[in-house]
Amino acid sequence: MDAQPAIAVEGVTKRFRLEGGREFTALDDVSLSLAEGEFVTLLGPSGCGKSTILRLVAALEEPSAGRVAVEGRPPAELSRQHRLGVAFQDHALLPWLDVASNIALPFKVAGMRVDAERVAGLIRLVGLSGFEKARPRQLSGGMRQRVAIARALVLKPDVLLLDEPFGALDAVTRRGMNIELQRIWTEQRTTTLLVTHDVGEALFLSDRIVVLSGRPGRVVRVVDVPFERPRHPSIMRSDLFHGMSDDLTEALHPPAELP
Amino acid sequence: MTEQRKALLLGSLGILGFLALWEAVGQGRWLGLSWPPLSAVLALLADENRQPLFARALGATLSSLGTGYAIGWAAGIGAAVLAHLVAPLREGLERTNAFIHAVPSVALAPLLILLVGREGTPATLAALNTFFILYVSTASGLGATQPALRDLVQVLGGSRWTRFIRLDLPLSLPTVVSGMRLAAPSALIGVIIGEWFGAPRGLGVLVINAMQNFQIPLLWSAVLLAVMVSLSLFAILGALHRGVVARLR
Repeated sequence: MDAQPAIAVEGVTKRFRLEGGREFTALDDVSLSLAEGEFVTLLGPSGCGKSTILRLVAALEEPSAGRVAVEGRPPAELSRQHRLGVAFQDHALLPWLDVASNIALPFKVAGMRVDAERVAGLIRLVGLSGFEKARPRQLSGGMRQRVAIARALVLKPDVLLLDEPFGALDAVTRRGMNIELQRIWTEQRTTTLLVTHDVGEALFLSDRIVVLSGRPGRVVRVVDVPFERPRHPSIMRSDLFHGMSDDLTEALHPPAELP
Repeated sequence: MTEQRKALLLGSLGILGFLALWEAVGQGRWLGLSWPPLSAVLALLADENRQPLFARALGATLSSLGTGYAIGWAAGIGAAVLAHLVAPLREGLERTNAFIHAVPSVALAPLLILLVGREGTPATLAALNTFFILYVSTASGLGATQPALRDLVQVLGGSRWTRFIRLDLPLSLPTVVSGMRLAAPSALIGVIIGEWFGAPRGLGVLVINAMQNFQIPLLWSAVLLAVMVSLSLFAILGALHRGVVARLR
């Protein structure tokens, strides 16, 4: 049981049929695995299929070839058992529900009794105390993403999938949110797969970074992140951080492929 | 606020100008006898001896309108929900509706007189008109849920029914209410056409009788009543629509 990865993606190829019958290969023979409690980031240029990997793990897509397993089972089982948490770039909050009700939504969708204490605790955890009754449109972009992350965590999921959750935020807010997410994650230690194209975000948050190339998506490099947890924001100013950051940026854009 | 007030002022001025022109054209007999002055029409509407006539006609029309609208509303929404939840039914329902809608009310009315009788025809035509508009608006509203929200409910392990109750239904409300607003005048047209084909009472009957007997002010009074019914419903449902949109924004 210990040897079994929490998430296993084995030799996955994903092809989409385009209009006019042409086929487009989004992912080509991608393999990766996450141990339980590991934070792994998929880093790649836009259009490299990294979100597709996330959608495959979320059972929102089926692989054209290869296998995806979560705890050794088909990924659809995980969502059916309400053990999956997600946050997308589009915060996907329901505009007619207030903050507390949005965070409580997974309970209702799962047909469970709403654990008001858990909801209140998460509101505190993501720093939104006092905004329980606010509607999404009254919140800033960063606050909406906090709500989305709290909602992803509310059912204590076994697996957390984050698809560019801070992609729509400005650089300063984004950095602040990364620091927050690091703190929140350190408390929960949920197996997490994050998709981003931001090198700094990947380095600060993850245990391991999987670098993908674009069109079709292939794994070009896997990097272990050496920083101890809990991580202080000051590590972002260290030489090691800068050095790794440069390396990863290089890996993202191989010189030959530069426009 | 000042912009709103300005719009309101200009709108009222426009309506007042139109009413004044109506009065002037009637007083001067510029368009002959068939265009009575507004004051004559209003005097007739206020005439105590005529009140029972108007009340009976208005009552009959409103009753047909209410019945037809309610039936069409329920059936239209029901059919759209069914088509939404049971995908194989969708295409068939859509084609049947388009076919029914393609038949003009005027052609349908004589058939309905034979099928449902003189009393039932106005309500039936109102129901048909309402049904079509509510079906189309509900179906498009239910189908408009953003993919990100659908993905969310699926990832959270929600069933199709959960998605319907938690997402599709609330998100479709503005479109449904917008359809309700559009359906009201359309249902009234159905009622009046139905009444023309020989209903015992109603504004449509009043219009036909007044026209055939050349009772011009009476004809205009009946038309004015119909317009007022239509505009009031449009305004009430418009307010409802604004409320729903504000709630869901």
